[in-house]
Amino acid sequence: MDNSNKQVVSSNFVGRGEPQVWATGTALSIILLIAVVLILVVALNGLGYFWPSNLAQFNLADGSSVIGEIHGEEVAKRSGTDRVQLKIGNRDLYGLDFRWFDRSDIEETSFPENAIALERIEYGNFYGFLKHTDAPGVELDQDDTRDAFELAWKDIKDQQETLAAMDGEIRHINYELKRARSKRHKREYAEGITTRTENPQSPDEIDAKARLDAVASEKDETVARLAVNVAVFTDAAGTEKEIRLMDIERVTRPNAMSISEKVFHYLDKLVELFLGEPRESNTEGGLFPAIFGTVMLVFLMSLFSFPFGIIAGVYLREYAKQGILVRTVRIAVNNLAGVPSIVYGIFGLGFFIYGIGGAIDRVFFTEQLPTPTFGSGGILWASLTLGLLTVPVVIVATEEALGTIPQGIREGSLSLGATKFQTLVRVLLPMASPGILTGFILAMARAAGEVAPLMITGVVKLAPSLPIDGQFPYIHAERKFMHLGFHIYDVGFQSPNVEAAKPMVFVTALLLVLLVLVMSSVAIFMRNRMKKRFSVSDF
Amino acid sequence: MDIKTNPRTLRWAKRRDKAARWVITIGGVLIIGAVVLMLLLILNVSIPLFQQPSSNLLKRLSVDSDALGHIFAIGIDDYKEVVYAIHEPNDVTFFDVQSGEILERMTLDGQASKQGIHVTAIDHWSDHRYAMFWSDRGASAVEIRFIPQFDSSGSRTINFEVTSILEMRDANVSNPGIARMRADAGGATLAFVGDDSMVQVVKSTATEDLFGEVSTKNEHASLPTPLPGVITLLELDDPGITLYAGTDEGYLGRWDLSGPAPFVLTDSLKASETGSPITALQTVFGGVSIAIGTANGDFATWFPVTSESSDGKRLQKIHRLPSHTASVVDVVPSLRDKSLITRDSDGNVRIAHMTTERELLSLPTEKLLESHAISAKGDGLILYQKGAITIWDLHKPHPEASFSTLFKKVWYEGYDKPEFVWQSSASSDDYEPKLSLIPLMFGSFKGTLYAMVFAVPLALLAALYTSQFLRPEIAGVVKPAVEIMASVPSVVIGFLIALWLAPLVEGYIVEFFLSIILIPVVFVVFIMIWRLFDGSHLHRKVERGLEFIAVVPVLLGSGFIAYLLAPTVEQALFGGDLKIWLYESVGERYDQRNAIVIAFGLGFAAIPIIFTMAEDALSSLPQSLKAASLALGASRWQTAWRVVLPSASPGIFAAVIIGFGRVIGETMIVLMATGNTPIIDWSPFNGMRTLSANIAVEIPEAPVNGTLYRVLFLSAAILFMLTFVLNTAAEVIRQRLRKKYGQFQ
Repeated sequence: MDNSNKQVVSSNFVGRGEPQVWATGTALSIILLIAVVLILVVALNGLGYFWPSNLAQFNLADGSSVIGEIHGEEVAKRSGTDRVQLKIGNRDLYGLDFRWFDRSDIEETSFPENAIALERIEYGNFYGFLKHTDAPGVELDQDDTRDAFELAWKDIKDQQETLAAMDGEIRHINYELKRARSKRHKREYAEGITTRTENPQSPDEIDAKARLDAVASEKDETVARLAVNVAVFTDAAGTEKEIRLMDIERVTRPNAMSISEKVFHYLDKLVELFLGEPRESNTEGGLFPAIFGTVMLVFLMSLFSFPFGIIAGVYLREYAKQGILVRTVRIAVNNLAGVPSIVYGIFGLGFFIYGIGGAIDRVFFTEQLPTPTFGSGGILWASLTLGLLTVPVVIVATEEALGTIPQGIREGSLSLGATKFQTLVRVLLPMASPGILTGFILAMARAAGEVAPLMITGVVKLAPSLPIDGQFPYIHAERKFMHLGFHIYDVGFQSPNVEAAKPMVFVTALLLVLLVLVMSSVAIFMRNRMKKRFSVSDF
Repeated sequence: MDIKTNPRTLRWAKRRDKAARWVITIGGVLIIGAVVLMLLLILNVSIPLFQQPSSNLLKRLSVDSDALGHIFAIGIDDYKEVVYAIHEPNDVTFFDVQSGEILERMTLDGQASKQGIHVTAIDHWSDHRYAMFWSDRGASAVEIRFIPQFDSSGSRTINFEVTSILEMRDANVSNPGIARMRADAGGATLAFVGDDSMVQVVKSTATEDLFGEVSTKNEHASLPTPLPGVITLLELDDPGITLYAGTDEGYLGRWDLSGPAPFVLTDSLKASETGSPITALQTVFGGVSIAIGTANGDFATWFPVTSESSDGKRLQKIHRLPSHTASVVDVVPSLRDKSLITRDSDGNVRIAHMTTERELLSLPTEKLLESHAISAKGDGLILYQKGAITIWDLHKPHPEASFSTLFKKVWYEGYDKPEFVWQSSASSDDYEPKLSLIPLMFGSFKGTLYAMVFAVPLALLAALYTSQFLRPEIAGVVKPAVEIMASVPSVVIGFLIALWLAPLVEGYIVEFFLSIILIPVVFVVFIMIWRLFDGSHLHRKVERGLEFIAVVPVLLGSGFIAYLLAPTVEQALFGGDLKIWLYESVGERYDQRNAIVIAFGLGFAAIPIIFTMAEDALSSLPQSLKAASLALGASRWQTAWRVVLPSASPGIFAAVIIGFGRVIGETMIVLMATGNTPIIDWSPFNGMRTLSANIAVEIPEAPVNGTLYRVLFLSAAILFMLTFVLNTAAEVIRQRLRKKYGQFQ
């Protein structure tokens, strides 16, 4: 394929068509450049979010002063003025998170050592300075305001853990109450009473309600006790702000942090990301429920799609009589992979949720109606829908993998006296396993990245409880769930403060991209290796 | 080897083999059945949209007409359990539908019988509201209310009551047969033709003062009627702010009563071309349109539209509904949709839908019909003729959906011409859903075409380069890399496009366009310079499949030059701001989320698919073809362009089709980055709404089995079939290609 024909080469660069070749090369470069840029944008924005940036204090020309993280900088296009965007935080004081400043208005920029950044449960970050601590609930013998604050805050945080335990208990008792109530409803329904009361009536309910009230009032007391412990902060302009210690999640003084401290902080935030619960309508905190939901969804999907996919693939390749019908079916299955995912979603809604789910409700949960149990979106229906969506991928992969096995191997096995099934299980499937596995991984990657069908089959912005927990029957397949992909859509497009939520979306996007890219890279790598193993060179 | 166990093992193995064969066959057939089921189910949900409405006779009650006297009006409750008749002298009688027995007979006004007066005519509007005109020329309004009650066992009893809305004893109504009145707690509007044949209007407003005392103020006006002919009918809309009058020469007048007197005659026109007398006038649900029936059986609806000749809106004939063979004597509007139930003098009763201009149903002819009414839910119709009340069940679940509303231009109320509109819901109750799928299909195609313009050349050229010119060891990396690109979740692409690229492109729009122009220019310059080195060592090295790296500086360089030049260019050509220039000179609004950024997003999703399949098609051609061409002295480009490309063209075509199919159903990218406005506009600076995004946006709010729900299923079926056909075509083409070139291998 070397084209080094000397006469032609030297005769005419253009006539030989070299510029055209270059043009095609340009197309490839453009594609690769776009891909690299997109991946870089996600990676840089996503990775940088947790790095504690320094707090800059601007003394402005009008005499005021402001503190915050430098977020961006640009030269305004037409006026040519240089502008700096500062994340000023303190949403409860200023109402907005970001502000632009003209460079010319900034008289002095400093990075005060004692500037403090607080991550709060509500209202986003606070930037300012510590004034004093007022914590009657904590015994302090420190004179230094700073140490006193740290000690008091740590103490309160420790005490807050009992609160978390109480929350868990409340959830637990609530669940018991709900079960007891639906049990009573069921009994009442059997007796022919159709009017349902939510008030506790059976002994179980009354007992649970009493315990619930006890824990709730204990919790209220604890909250009241902790809430009096406050610290007073000032913003750059000197406005005082009293903040309850229990509302503070994390305290940093980024300007005084060493690199190693910053690394530690970064890792700490990563741990929170993977294991923590979301806060502030998902724009802060962790992604644990979304990660859990995604993983469980993919797992359930695999349970449905893999066995059926293999069976159908084996049937098409090994059992069905090859003819026009099988050819048609094969084309149809291939095409199903190209059917828009939203169509699968619609099908899931019509067939699984309203069809099967509605029927289950009518038969087994009659006493709950009209409140749906299985008749509304849930992780079971979502994963069945995704299973249907990925079945073609598995079928095609199985078929292709079986197809690459030379006919001689089958004949060899059969001639040795093995039955068709033995040949399949002992010879063909093991040989095809890398290819089938590739299909699995591709299916999982597709399932993990799909969002549109989930949106109509049960994904929610914020699920109150996970689909698996410690309460009987442990797996709650009818529950709604959270998902990384939907998290991106929801936080990026439905949250009230998109600008402030953006960094979090980049983090989620990075996580999802990494997950999917790693999965499909492995799959493609495996497939290419398998191709080499079986392909017979003939040129 | 243990020979003894052999027969047993053999039996076992055979049995297992048989079982497995069955399981696998059944499983396989089931899976394939599921595929078919999927399409069938989706279609099954949408098919009821096109079902013919049906009716069946629920009950025929015999009524002792002599005992009741003349019956002015009849009505039925929502559950179709109680029927009532308002009759002489001023009574209402309730009947039980099941047994046909009289439940109760009450008087509409206790005072009246003492004073020896009786009802002479009745006018009906809204849900069970009646205006009554008395023999002493007074007027009053009542409402009949049904209150369903459920006992503890869940069974239902319907209670009813008659409440008085208002009384006007001194109204002095003449010609009560055609008098009209609308009233509520805040006041009333009364219109009648006076003894001097002038139209008389009485507007009464009730005001409550500080102490809770209600005082009413009456405003009288006498309207001159320049209409030819004698007024045969009057009609008021439900709020009583528009008055219509029809004459026996087919003329129609409209007055605006919303302000204080004097009231303006806003329209006077000939409503019947043949001059046939107007025999029925009825405002359609929503109060915008007026339905006009004439003595020759013509039936049409009119509403005001902006006219060119004059300022303000003028009535215009919009929808011509199927005509009757005899004079249209009465029209009753549905209280749920734009359906109208008409009755002619021969006793034909028909239900027609205004917007779709079609007849939904017609009931068997019954001579001597005297009146008819519809239940508030629109699912029951009652007819009265001497001696009997007949009750019909109506089943017309989706009156507003028809092939023409879904796919053709429709003239909706409030629009100046027929248009394709998608607007499925609004805040008000009397809103008519507008369900044209055309803007959505247009949006899908627009987004797809823009994306293909971006993606197809890039992907195909890159595939050609990768398969023909790129070093094999690099191709071994590039190919899987592009394949992996295909698995980037679309929600991530959509997010990046909408929140990162769209603001970026908006800020640097001139730079963007400039670099599109500059890249070819700089490229040509670069090639001209490069030519000078033809034959050099560097040249030879790069031309062994590394060109794509060498042009990277060209691309980045032209981008940078564009960035430097942009302010000057924008100043010189567009007066400093392209967006303002666009708006002022071209009339185009620049949306941040527009077709350009969509093209990027969808293109990015499509490129890996098109690239991979086209590359497969190109590199699976027999090497002998290429070798022969090169051996005959063709250059590598000539070989690629004249030999390889034409041979692989079916496969490349298939790749483009599959890419098209993938893009047209893509949901998340368009949902996030289009702005989701269902407009029909090819401009690259506007957004769109696609079929797929529309499903995602609307389905959570669509009531199960409602019209919108079914229309969304229909759009899913369209998407399904569209992609299925495209993919099948591509697959068939590919298989043909495989067969054709299989012999070489």
